[in-house]
Amino acid sequence: MAIINQATKELQVKVVYYGPAMGGKTTNLVQVHDHVQTQAGNKGKLVSLATSSDRTLFFDFLPIEAMTIKGFKTKFQLYTVPGQVIYNTTRQLVLRGVDGIVFVADSQYEKMPENVESFQNLMDNLTSLKLNIADIPYVLQYNKRDLPNAAPVEYMEFLLNNREAQVPSFGASAHKCEGVFESLNMITRLLLQKFINQSAPPRA
Amino acid sequence: MATLPQLIEEDMQRLDDALREFVSQTDATAALIIDKGGFLIAHQGDSSQFDVTTIGALASGAFMANQTIAGLVNEPNFNSVYQQGEKSSMLVVNIDEHCLLIVIFSANIGVGIMRYYASGTIRKIATQLVAAQNRNPGGGYDLSALNIADSEKLFRKKK
Repeated sequence: MAIINQATKELQVKVVYYGPAMGGKTTNLVQVHDHVQTQAGNKGKLVSLATSSDRTLFFDFLPIEAMTIKGFKTKFQLYTVPGQVIYNTTRQLVLRGVDGIVFVADSQYEKMPENVESFQNLMDNLTSLKLNIADIPYVLQYNKRDLPNAAPVEYMEFLLNNREAQVPSFGASAHKCEGVFESLNMITRLLLQKFINQSAPPRA
Repeated sequence: MATLPQLIEEDMQRLDDALREFVSQTDATAALIIDKGGFLIAHQGDSSQFDVTTIGALASGAFMANQTIAGLVNEPNFNSVYQQGEKSSMLVVNIDEHCLLIVIFSANIGVGIMRYYASGTIRKIATQLVAAQNRNPGGGYDLSALNIADSEKLFRKKK
């Protein structure tokens, strides 16, 4: 859970990119790392614990400081999880202390079962950590929209965004940096809104 | 609604004092308190030579992974990870359900002295963290001073 440090006026927030294998989670972090505008020293190194074939083994990690709002520094820690099925224990570890989630779905038709399975796996893992998807801000990113076999957005909405409360969703081509910042800014906005509501003093 | 864990000036001062005393007692290079989610909470010693944010994230992951492995081999007694180096060594010790103490020290110094003094330091840190978690929710920092409209483009893309 996020930490507010009143002594240094800092808010630390953890955002996890979740989704099926090869869906573009690491690409999102690489694009943020390469294209974000920051003041000197506000962007950390992108750390990837990956296999020799660039498949995420443990997690990718990018610490980044957003622009200061009203004198308050917001430090974000962006993580990805390994998408491959065998690494479920690792996904549970990375989800610990999560504040917000970007679910990166693969738009290709043949990947729909994996998208649904991964989303169900996310809910199961949150449950194992005594968390509920309804209490955690998340956004959906439909990646690889530029591929010819991409399923219609309406179909993906039907599969992944059909709960009582619909969440924001974005089409993306992460390798071109399209939709990457839109997803990140929206999850940031949802998180700050949640924190502001939580921190408001109780009404008399 | 649950409130956010908040650390005030007094908390930070006591945590820093505990770490500073530990570094002085042991001659450790640096000592850090991190949350098990990977957040850096406090650090003392000569940490300017290290990327403490990344060390925090990786050490919490490594500790949790090792704890899970210990569970898989039916080992219930797990509370630290020790990495022995040629120049620098590192000890990660459990503080409580939420936090870890990381100590980076010269390989010339034995790990025994670190473990010995860490036990007292951990008690002090844990006491303060419990106080922070139990603090009157009404006394928390009001984030409504932040204007959500300003967050429209928190992260901007280079042109």
